Amino acid sequence: MRAGPSQEEIRRQNLGALLRHVHVHGATSRATLTTELGLNRSTIGALTTDLVNAGLVSEETPRETRRAGRPSLVVRPESARVYAWAFSIEVDRLRIARIGLGGVVLDRRTVERPRGLLAEETAPLLAGELKRMQQEVRPGMICIGAGIAVCGMVRRDDGMVRLGPHTGWVDEPIADALAAELGTGTTPTVGNVADVCAFAEYTRGAAAGCNNVIYLYGDVGVGAGIIAGGRRLTGHGGYGGEVGHMVVNRDGVRCACGSRGCWESEIGEYALLRAAGRPEAHGREAVLAVFDAADRGDARAQAAVRQIGDWLGFGVGNLVNIFNPEMVIFGGTMRDLYLAAAAQIRSRLNSIGLSACLEHVRLRTPKLGDDAALIGAAELAFERLLADPLDAA
Amino acid sequence: MSGTPLLELRGVDKSFGPVQVLHDVAFSVHPGEVTALVGDNGAGKSTLVKCISGIHGTDAGEYFFEGQPVTINGPRDAAALGIEVVYQDLALCDNLDIVQNMFLGRERRSGLVLDEPAMEEEAARTLASLSVKTISSLRQHVSSLSGGQRQTVAITKAVLWNSRLVILDEPTAALGLAQTAQVLELVRRLADNGLAVVLISHNMNDVFAVSDRIATLYLGQMVAQVRTTDVTHAQVVELITSGRSGRLGTATETGNGYLSTRVAGAAE
Repeated sequence: MRAGPSQEEIRRQNLGALLRHVHVHGATSRATLTTELGLNRSTIGALTTDLVNAGLVSEETPRETRRAGRPSLVVRPESARVYAWAFSIEVDRLRIARIGLGGVVLDRRTVERPRGLLAEETAPLLAGELKRMQQEVRPGMICIGAGIAVCGMVRRDDGMVRLGPHTGWVDEPIADALAAELGTGTTPTVGNVADVCAFAEYTRGAAAGCNNVIYLYGDVGVGAGIIAGGRRLTGHGGYGGEVGHMVVNRDGVRCACGSRGCWESEIGEYALLRAAGRPEAHGREAVLAVFDAADRGDARAQAAVRQIGDWLGFGVGNLVNIFNPEMVIFGGTMRDLYLAAAAQIRSRLNSIGLSACLEHVRLRTPKLGDDAALIGAAELAFERLLADPLDAA
Repeated sequence: MSGTPLLELRGVDKSFGPVQVLHDVAFSVHPGEVTALVGDNGAGKSTLVKCISGIHGTDAGEYFFEGQPVTINGPRDAAALGIEVVYQDLALCDNLDIVQNMFLGRERRSGLVLDEPAMEEEAARTLASLSVKTISSLRQHVSSLSGGQRQTVAITKAVLWNSRLVILDEPTAALGLAQTAQVLELVRRLADNGLAVVLISHNMNDVFAVSDRIATLYLGQMVAQVRTTDVTHAQVVELITSGRSGRLGTATETGNGYLSTRVAGAAE
């Protein structure tokens, strides 16, 4: 039988908790940390010293406190010094960012991605841009790893991308492909873009403080990042949350996954463009052009937006009834769709949602905007640091 | 979630000469929520807002703030309670920069001179608290800003003064799609930061996108005040145009706006 946790484990746990607090909440005084973490004052002092020595946080005297007594030292994450690489592989573009501890975007680049590029072709593209970005990193910085957000289903154990219907990926080992290019020795952590965005909004965005959240991410496909009871709900193999393939229309069109009448073939990019009579167009710009046309009074575009909005309301209603979330966040092009068709979405949701489930649900757009994928990807990498700060750094 | 309303009006009447504009209006606004005030042209939305902000006196009715009865004799009284109104014309000075506009008439001083750094810092802090990313420099002249940026400045200005209740009159009326989206997100964020927000709008999309409650005026009567989760687009349109929709709304026959509001509220 196993005895209680050892001294060393407790210390590691506490270091992680302290670092996590300043990572999420920003600079915090030692006094606040003492109350928030429920630890002894001298323990906080010792833990902070360890983290300062590891170069993960810094301490300084606050400028003014307007309170009696000796001001408590402020512990600040070393955002400019400790960073993670974040990659976001989207249908039409690749994004790379260097993100500092505390979720600060230090540098970012975007590369066009022709549709249908496979992992072994994508990795060199990312690597080339990465090399240019690495040259600008001053010496003495600490890289703690990398995270990747991918539009596709990701196997949790090894980050294998099993299926990305719209990227054309089947069993693509993107993590291994990039690990070679990064040269840091650690394999990047891979996550589904919706899961990763949900995690970012939950940690430091619109859903901070909410324990039951659904983040709907839409571009060509639609996926959801689900947080239930404060935990990420990803299922057995990590593939959960594929709400885009919830079948909503028995007589619907064929979906890229092979099935028929999936939710994403009613609300995704192609559905909107088809309904608006622009089947040849594709990409985010084309989608925004439809919303813009609807706003300016184009009847065909308005009808398309209403139709897609109604279908969106159907699916959201189902999700609300199943998961009873406090918040549903509309991300990617779903943000623009929500703001353009809120009346239809709400009306449909209100008519099919159970009133007990609807009572406290809040519909929101992302606070972190498009950065959520990058910040969330970095968050995956930071998780390893927060689990064991001194070892990982 | 409900609790005590921040602002509550009961039985408000208002006439201009022989024309009675508001009949026995009841209206409540809760902190942390966006209350959409909708109604056709001439339904009395602007008059109601002017009564709330003290520009017009009322002929009859009670005014409660945080559950306490108060008397409002002018705009200063309302401002002292923390009520700010952002009108459609925005009332910004084109020839001044953003910080000067925000502190117009309420400038900070240090000794004899204006305390520019303090004002700039506070303006920046307020913009940051609302996650405004669309404004690059606080020293830009307002004349160089787009419609959406102006609206953002006007709204932020209203928030700067420890306001408790912000009333926005058609904030997205003259804006393009992208700017409308930004302003709507800003409106939502105001409420999520704990303010009470009243949004006057003709655009049902805007109303459904950000509001928690919808109050409908019809010919000077408050016909329904309902939660946004309880109604559909068609019902709200019906309320606006005919004053009733199924079990919602009042009947002009009974002429009792207050009672029906309570019935609609009982579903909560």
